[in-house]
Amino acid sequence: MSPKTNGVIQFNNVSKRYFKQGTRTFKEMLHALFIRREKPGEFLWALHNITLNISPGMTYGVIGKNGSGKSTLLKLIAQVTNPTHGQLIVNGRTAPLIELGAGFHPDLTGRENIALNAAMLGMTKEEIQAQTKDIIAFAELADFLDTPVKYYSSGMYLRLAFSVAIHVNADILLIDEILAVGDELFQQKCLAKLNALKAQGKTIVFVSHNIHLIRSFCDYGLYLEHGKMKEQGEISAVVRHYSLDMEKEL
Amino acid sequence: MPYLLSRWSELSRQLISREIKSRYKQSFLGYAWVILNPLLQMLVMTFVFSLIIRVSSLGVPYAIFLYVALLPWNLFTNSLTHATNSLVNNSSLIKKIFFPRQIFIQATLIAKIVDFLFASIILVFFFLYYHQSLTLNFLWVIPIFIIQEIFTYGLALIFASLNLFYRDIQHLLSLVLVLWMYVTPVIYPVEMVPEAYRFIFKLNPMAVIINAYREVMLGGNMPKLSSLAIALALSLATYYLGRKIFNKLEGYFADVA
Repeated sequence: MSPKTNGVIQFNNVSKRYFKQGTRTFKEMLHALFIRREKPGEFLWALHNITLNISPGMTYGVIGKNGSGKSTLLKLIAQVTNPTHGQLIVNGRTAPLIELGAGFHPDLTGRENIALNAAMLGMTKEEIQAQTKDIIAFAELADFLDTPVKYYSSGMYLRLAFSVAIHVNADILLIDEILAVGDELFQQKCLAKLNALKAQGKTIVFVSHNIHLIRSFCDYGLYLEHGKMKEQGEISAVVRHYSLDMEKEL
Repeated sequence: MPYLLSRWSELSRQLISREIKSRYKQSFLGYAWVILNPLLQMLVMTFVFSLIIRVSSLGVPYAIFLYVALLPWNLFTNSLTHATNSLVNNSSLIKKIFFPRQIFIQATLIAKIVDFLFASIILVFFFLYYHQSLTLNFLWVIPIFIIQEIFTYGLALIFASLNLFYRDIQHLLSLVLVLWMYVTPVIYPVEMVPEAYRFIFKLNPMAVIINAYREVMLGGNMPKLSSLAIALALSLATYYLGRKIFNKLEGYFADVA
């Protein structure tokens, strides 16, 4: 399969580090300009030498403890941030279902936020017009469309955000902790939708702490520990390794 | 390439209208400030520089002499200041969603151009009031304006991306802009500058641009093409440098935003 095919994700020895210090000032710039040496402990390595191949139509689960680098992995695929070392190839349009509602503006109404958020996810005017009805129906928020989203409950907020993101006609879906969305009923609906997208042959990368959900939904997976790959392959083997490690720690 | 023409055109359009609308909100006079602000500035400065310090204005009323330069200068400073803060102000988005970051810069610059056009309406009344003739020579304003925007865009790319990494940039910029105005013939004619120092003005694209506006609108002459060519070359160089810096740093914006 050529890497040009839509839906392909390839990590070749990818590493990612962050600056530990938040906002930097002139002092640091002068330092960086004149003293090239990096101070030890200045960086935090979030991911180390990640190499993986996700082919189109794969459902790929990523598991690991908090701080193991799962979210950084998704952010790299979503192109929110770039790798420090290594090569990353992502072909096709991505729909990030991470940081849901990040693009919402509290003072704008539900309807206005649909338009703004959809545009941020790269939808054209025509696509937005064509999808708005479905987005509203899926979110079950028809009665609150002209209310500013700052008056929404957190569940309503997330439902709207999820609904917008899921209606982007993407090749790759990135999902972070889907179970945070709404009540049980809405979660079932989301899962059903995701299964339908899976059946359509979308590539789905799924991050969750819920290993039962991961095992039932994904075909392949990755177990991350401290930013390193601990196990990769068939989802059942990956989940088994992770569960054993967790039992040991308990 | 302007994102207005790409897949991101819808986002560009929305960000521009948000930028323009933010003017209306939370102020009683709303969009009127776009016109009032330079008008009041002009009144005070005209009082100071034509009645107290008598600056030569080349035979035209000082008010109109100043206004022709003040409007594009304000466009320059407003564009740069707002564009420099545009990435920092949207850091919560930059950290979380991917889309081409230049959209923020472009939306800011376009919104400021809209402000500028509104503020320029007053200028037309000035011309009528002072019986200054409006001739075809005015069309020179268009290429001059394009050079100004290329220069502004280049600088905005540099300052906005560096400001994400080092927040001192925004403070440095406001200082630089104040000093820059003094080495640009906004309140005085370039003819007042001693010959020995003129070269500084030739190498300052904003000086060439501001002087050219005056030349074509008040002098009724063609702009000095040799100076304008230098300004164009410097503006293009600034734009390429800006794009290079921006593209190099863009992948790390989310880490420092």
